[in-house]
Amino acid sequence: MSDWWSYGLADLLLFSPRVYYRLFETMNTTWWVVVISAFVAGLIASGFAMRHGHRGNRVILVLLSVIWAWMSYGFLWQYYRPINWAVPYLLPGFVLQAVLLAVFAARPLPLRFGWRGDLTSAIGVGFMVCAFLIYPFVGVLEGRELVQAELFGSAPDPTALGMLGFTLMARGTWRWLLLPVPLIWCVVSAATLWVMDQQIAVVMLTAVWVTIILRLA
Amino acid sequence: MSDFDRRKFLKSAGAVAALGGLGVFGTGANRHAFAQTGAAKDLPRIIQKTIPSSGETIPAVGLGSWITFNVGNDIELRDQCADVMSAFFDAGGRMIDSSPMYGSAQDVIGYGLDKLGARDRVFSTDKVWTAGDGAEQIAETSDRWKVAEFDLLQVHNLLGINENLPLLFRMKDAGQLRYVGVTTSHGRRTEDLIAVMKNERLDFVQVTYNPIDRKVEDYLLPLAYDRGIAVIVNRPFRGGSLIERLAGQPLPEFARDLEAKSWAQLILKYLISHPAVTCPIPATTKPAHVVENMAAASGLLPDDKMREQIAGVIGVLI
Repeated sequence: MSDWWSYGLADLLLFSPRVYYRLFETMNTTWWVVVISAFVAGLIASGFAMRHGHRGNRVILVLLSVIWAWMSYGFLWQYYRPINWAVPYLLPGFVLQAVLLAVFAARPLPLRFGWRGDLTSAIGVGFMVCAFLIYPFVGVLEGRELVQAELFGSAPDPTALGMLGFTLMARGTWRWLLLPVPLIWCVVSAATLWVMDQQIAVVMLTAVWVTIILRLA
Repeated sequence: MSDFDRRKFLKSAGAVAALGGLGVFGTGANRHAFAQTGAAKDLPRIIQKTIPSSGETIPAVGLGSWITFNVGNDIELRDQCADVMSAFFDAGGRMIDSSPMYGSAQDVIGYGLDKLGARDRVFSTDKVWTAGDGAEQIAETSDRWKVAEFDLLQVHNLLGINENLPLLFRMKDAGQLRYVGVTTSHGRRTEDLIAVMKNERLDFVQVTYNPIDRKVEDYLLPLAYDRGIAVIVNRPFRGGSLIERLAGQPLPEFARDLEAKSWAQLILKYLISHPAVTCPIPATTKPAHVVENMAAASGLLPDDKMREQIAGVIGVLI
């Protein structure tokens, strides 16, 4: 498109916060079994990721791959696409992330997850705690209903945030290939939340900067 | 346009308004005959504005769909949008505006028109917004609205203007479209818009205008008036932020003289009273707000002095 320069960020906001958060309500109530299963799968993966050892590495990668595949179809395709024409451009990234995770799981030596007592691990755990336990309930504190909670495994924001945490907890060659998609999503989401006057945009953007700084350090 | 020219324009425009040049008064559409509900018969007479290129008149307030009608497949919210459309039609409104850029808004309008059986009541207004195949996009838009032909199609934000404007003119010449226009918003690409207005036989132009964003008063609105181009006003409330900022502030005394009961009505009266303006298109999710907006297109309108007062008061409060 030749005239993107003439658009401001606010022009590209196409929906209201009311409509956006109702997407989660509809998904959570319609697909509640899948949503809860995906959240539990994420918790199991995070439990394995805290341990230092070889067991569970493939399980983590497979569970995360399934989660990203579900999120591509569930939230993005079924719910977000009708109100955001940019989704078809973002969707391949989510599918790519699912494929990458599956490929890492299939390698003879998959990534190794575990707590190592360093700053990177600590921040990784912090991102995961935020993704699983804090992010879903920020909306409640802001007055939204619990049924609109954005849960890890089905909602892209906490899942991308948690994915950054998982990646920071990982060791192994090429692990950084798992960062671009969640980083890009965090930026896109931060911009969306920002123009909707949602303060939590700062969390997403902070996660991006912290991850980049850790990667460069 | 120089200050002198602007003053002269406003003076003459005020005179035109005073003589009834703003249009005629009426309650219904003059092209589409439709049965009005009992409620509509009790409503105040809606000011009609004339489309210069045809002489057709349309109600002086329309309905936008940016953000408000992009509700996806949520049936509950779709029904709320249909309620807004119902209130709009019952209050005498006709022009509904959308764009391929607005997500699911076109589908939601189509849903509402289906539910209300109101295709003969709407002045269908949409846009072509692509640097690719404009004809294909218009066909998709038509499918979403479920209308065979649009009343007005506009080149959205001048995108692909060199291909899309000739396409729209060809459609008009072939009898597949009644009016052709171009749009901008936020005061962008003004020079390009002016060039198109000067060089093409446009029926409509759509611009951002409100008591804070008044640049169009200097040159664009007078040019539209001189060239006989109808003007649709987008962002009359700055996407709602103007009303939010003014909430809780008491209305000025002179609002009573204009029978304006809210800031929204005062702003709409400010816009409607400009002789070059044909139709502001406020967007809303609430039927009550539609009724309030439509009521602004009735009763007294401000003269030049009052218009300056309105802009002055709001400018101080914002």
